[in-house]
Amino acid sequence: MIYSYIKPRKKSLFTPEMQLLSIFFGITIFMLLGTYLFLLFKDYRFTQDRSEIIELREETSMEIDLIEKSIIYIQEEKVLSETVFTKNTVLKDSISNMFDLVPQRITLSEAKLLEDGLILHGVTPNKDIYNFMLQAPLRSIFHRTYSSFYPAENGWLHFVSTNYVDKEKDIVTKPEEEVEENIEEEIEYED
Amino acid sequence: MFNKLYERLYVKVLVNIVIRHKKTTVYIEILNKSGLLHSYEEEFDAKYLSMEMYEYIMSYTKETPYFYISILDASSSQGAIPTCSKHKVGYFQDLSASEYKCYKERWTYYTAKTDVYAIEKVYEKIGVDFIFSPFVLLANFFKDKIDTHLAMFILVQEGSLSLSIFNNSQLLYAEHLDMELEITSDELIDDNDIAEIEKEMQESIDLDDIASLDDLDELDSDDDFSDIADLDSIDELDELDDFDETKDIEEELAENEDMQDFPIQDSDGMNEDFQRFSLIQSAVNTFYKDEKFESEFIENIYIGDGVGVSSDLKRYLEEEMFLNVYIRHLDLAGELCTIAKMELS
Repeated sequence: MIYSYIKPRKKSLFTPEMQLLSIFFGITIFMLLGTYLFLLFKDYRFTQDRSEIIELREETSMEIDLIEKSIIYIQEEKVLSETVFTKNTVLKDSISNMFDLVPQRITLSEAKLLEDGLILHGVTPNKDIYNFMLQAPLRSIFHRTYSSFYPAENGWLHFVSTNYVDKEKDIVTKPEEEVEENIEEEIEYED
Repeated sequence: MFNKLYERLYVKVLVNIVIRHKKTTVYIEILNKSGLLHSYEEEFDAKYLSMEMYEYIMSYTKETPYFYISILDASSSQGAIPTCSKHKVGYFQDLSASEYKCYKERWTYYTAKTDVYAIEKVYEKIGVDFIFSPFVLLANFFKDKIDTHLAMFILVQEGSLSLSIFNNSQLLYAEHLDMELEITSDELIDDNDIAEIEKEMQESIDLDDIASLDDLDELDSDDDFSDIADLDSIDELDELDDFDETKDIEEELAENEDMQDFPIQDSDGMNEDFQRFSLIQSAVNTFYKDEKFESEFIENIYIGDGVGVSSDLKRYLEEEMFLNVYIRHLDLAGELCTIAKMELS
């Protein structure tokens, strides 16, 4: 400002049009950058979520395996318990049946329940009562029946009855004749 | 640094606005780093920023951010005072409400702050970068004479005169004079009346009224030189006796050449020229009479003619005031542009 009363306005490339243009481009670039950063963040979050989900899935599958194993175990236990229950029921029924089989005149002193058989110790007034009232139903139940007697002090007879049930496959494999023979043999032995 | 680089890449547009009586001249120069590319000049029939003028200026300025708009101050409350010292300024003029600047540490030019604001307000749509005083324009235009001569320098504009008296580049007196151009039809002077007016002038202009000329008469008539307070030596009297010796031959030759390009009008605008003459006469009177100003005897008058004055003005000044008158044609807008370039450099 040498001669002029006023100072000249500052000259700049940033005319109002340029300012508008630069604001427009600035906002556009800011929005693009913002979108890029947002996507970058979302991508990071997605990767993180994916790894978390994969981890969770693995944990869940491991839990599922454990649960399946425990289910199998429980099922096995259930089967076992059912078997035991059935066996017990059968045993109870067997015992009940056994006591039902024993007539009033025969006195049992000992009974042994075996897996595939029954051993009875007792006193019978005579052989006939035993043979007709006890042995006959025992024979209908068991496949093999062995009886042995020895005299008691009061004139009655102590008896030991050993009864066996053959396994089914044995029965299936053996012909019926043989079974009958065996029974006859037993009878002979008893005599 | 970048700004300078950009400045080199873009063209520079200088818009110069000169407000005339009822018109406005807009002169535009387009410059690149190697110099002037184009220049355009247009006149508009308005004293203010018309829509037409706005569009004309904008058509050039919108091409580059580096455009500068200069205006020649046409306000009536401007002037110049012969000192730069802040203590002495008050002796000549109260500048508390003025915008002022010092010219080369020698003299001060000023204008009213309100006028500067008014200019900025009127041209706020396009903005204003420079407001130049006509005294600066005058000093720049006549710098070859001002530096070495004692003379009166006048810038003639349409509707105003910027009058200054310099003695070897030191300002002695300056005044901005506004003319009254609104002359009603009743007051208009016919060509037939001119001769009569001239005759009246011969009779009515009493040379005794003009202090300086009064002194001259006394010099011519009175043998007792010691009574003359203003003149210190006989050498000066010799100079006064022989006007021819003080003539600026070089300027006369230049003026003759100038006359061929811009012939001085005859009789046209006589009213205006008479007004100009009257204003100059009264200003000279003030200069000689007012004790605030250092009086020197003026022999030469250089006129920067920005409007095309008639030969009458020269004649009046030569015949009535016995001055050697030199008229140089001046393109106001072009000179304004020169100052704007100086300001930018």
